Amino acid sequence: MLHLTDYEKKMLSGEFGEFRQAAMRVICDYARVLGADKLCTVRRATLFIGAHHYLDCMDMQQDYTSIFSKFYLNKDEPIPFERMAPECASQTCAAACDLYDYKSTNLSKDFFDRNNNFLNATSRVGVSIVNSCTPYYVGWVPLMGEHFVTNESSNTLMSNSVFGAYGNADGVETAVCSAITGRTPYWGLHVRENRYGNALFKIETQPKTQFDWDLLGYTVGRFLPPHGKPILSADFEQPDINMLRQCFSSLATTSAAEICHITGITPEARDEIDALEGKKPEFEYVIAEKDIQESLAMLCDEGSGPVDLVSIGCPHLSLEELRDIAWMLEGEKVAKGTDLWIWTDYATQVMAERSGYVAMIEGSNAKVLNSSCPLVMREESHKRYSIMVMNGAKQAHNIRGQTDAKVYFGDVKACIKAALRGRWEA
Amino acid sequence: MRQRKILLKGRGAYPGVAEGIAVVCPDSIAGNSGSLGDTDGIIYETHNSNRGVCIKDKILVLPGAKGSSGFSAHFKSAALAGFAIAGWVVTKMDTRIGGAIVSLCVPAITDFEGVDPLQVLKTGDLVRIDGTKGTIEVLKSVLKD
Repeated sequence: MLHLTDYEKKMLSGEFGEFRQAAMRVICDYARVLGADKLCTVRRATLFIGAHHYLDCMDMQQDYTSIFSKFYLNKDEPIPFERMAPECASQTCAAACDLYDYKSTNLSKDFFDRNNNFLNATSRVGVSIVNSCTPYYVGWVPLMGEHFVTNESSNTLMSNSVFGAYGNADGVETAVCSAITGRTPYWGLHVRENRYGNALFKIETQPKTQFDWDLLGYTVGRFLPPHGKPILSADFEQPDINMLRQCFSSLATTSAAEICHITGITPEARDEIDALEGKKPEFEYVIAEKDIQESLAMLCDEGSGPVDLVSIGCPHLSLEELRDIAWMLEGEKVAKGTDLWIWTDYATQVMAERSGYVAMIEGSNAKVLNSSCPLVMREESHKRYSIMVMNGAKQAHNIRGQTDAKVYFGDVKACIKAALRGRWEA
Repeated sequence: MRQRKILLKGRGAYPGVAEGIAVVCPDSIAGNSGSLGDTDGIIYETHNSNRGVCIKDKILVLPGAKGSSGFSAHFKSAALAGFAIAGWVVTKMDTRIGGAIVSLCVPAITDFEGVDPLQVLKTGDLVRIDGTKGTIEVLKSVLKD
């Protein structure tokens, strides 16, 4: 039985307008589907909205209000936009196109305009245009115990595991409704006692680099049982946030994990006992070097050869990584016939421009791009390429569902080397 | 196919009755862009045991969701394009699949205890699910005597 506060009942009855009423109906249905008995207040949201390709099923001749109402609110008739919940900081996740440049990624002006029109429509009611899958680099940081919704699976893991904030892997439609109402079902990882780990992974290999953490996350996800909450246990060398970002994005690629405790590193896992609430794990596995090598073989095609697209920045890069890439590319030239794309969010891009990094990178004929990636832009952006090099296990894994191209996978240095030579060397 | 009935009982998560052919996905279907065709409802995910299958009018049998949080949006997209599933049978609820259930508004049963529908139902079985009562009937099984 779902219990609502007086405020929530008023929203459901339409006292605060039709827009919030429709969204509240979805949230209440969602609570019943999950089996929740109350709602909680959401303070932060990132939404995977704009002209994304999941809207390709819709008639694009109709206005965005109709599309929005049908897709996110389950309403056949258009409901005019009203302001989002004021208590919730809402912003956009990764977008289907760079905010300014569609030509470099082979997209059409029509699509570019549509994406910006859709983003403008929701920013007018309070969904800030941030277009990032790493929103914590530019200020979206939910505090410990704060309830959030996000459509970026690696951000679900980052926010739960590292920040100690409370959230689930919400769908696009329900996250939109949470941002409108400021409410989500009090269920799953919003509830303190559900946050303990239950799947213990002893890590024999010491991850030292971003690439190591990327492969570790991918490997843990391969062995994690459905509904497992992993604990990674070892005497870890201190990782930085960029390494954990890679670990979480690949873990969310091969599994449905929403929280990942790392002993001695994440706040709810000072040690194994802490992370397990003193209980025995339901599942145990030892990750050995052979498991990591298996993952690498799954992600990187065999052999050497010419390449025509290299993409770095899955998830979106931090400012210091753009600096490092600038230093690698200074005075160099990308091979003719090869495109090199470097992905970040546009706020970080502006900081990198002011810091001189973009000029250094683009002096090599590489492109610094914002908001998106090949995977989210879909086939239209990358169908002309036949041999790709991808940085980020998530990108290397999922792009294969969109292309028959050969896909190589490597760390940033290997990707840059391939772009400069126009060739991948095994 | 022979006639037989198996009754499984779970928690009714979305009301209504649906009949359809079961598609059993022990490794679920990834929610990432491109794993399920947004405009044709076909499973494209690499290594998926049901790759190439169209989900239209099927009863999907899944352990839960996996992959991207975009999971629900791709099922919603396929539904609006005319490739809606008939119903859901989900071993254990999670928010990715909960979001898809509420968005598609078709019968769903979940949270089975002591029995896993993934082990009992077979791809090709004709099943009837009642999302109000939380029951599953196998109307025609693909198993031979």
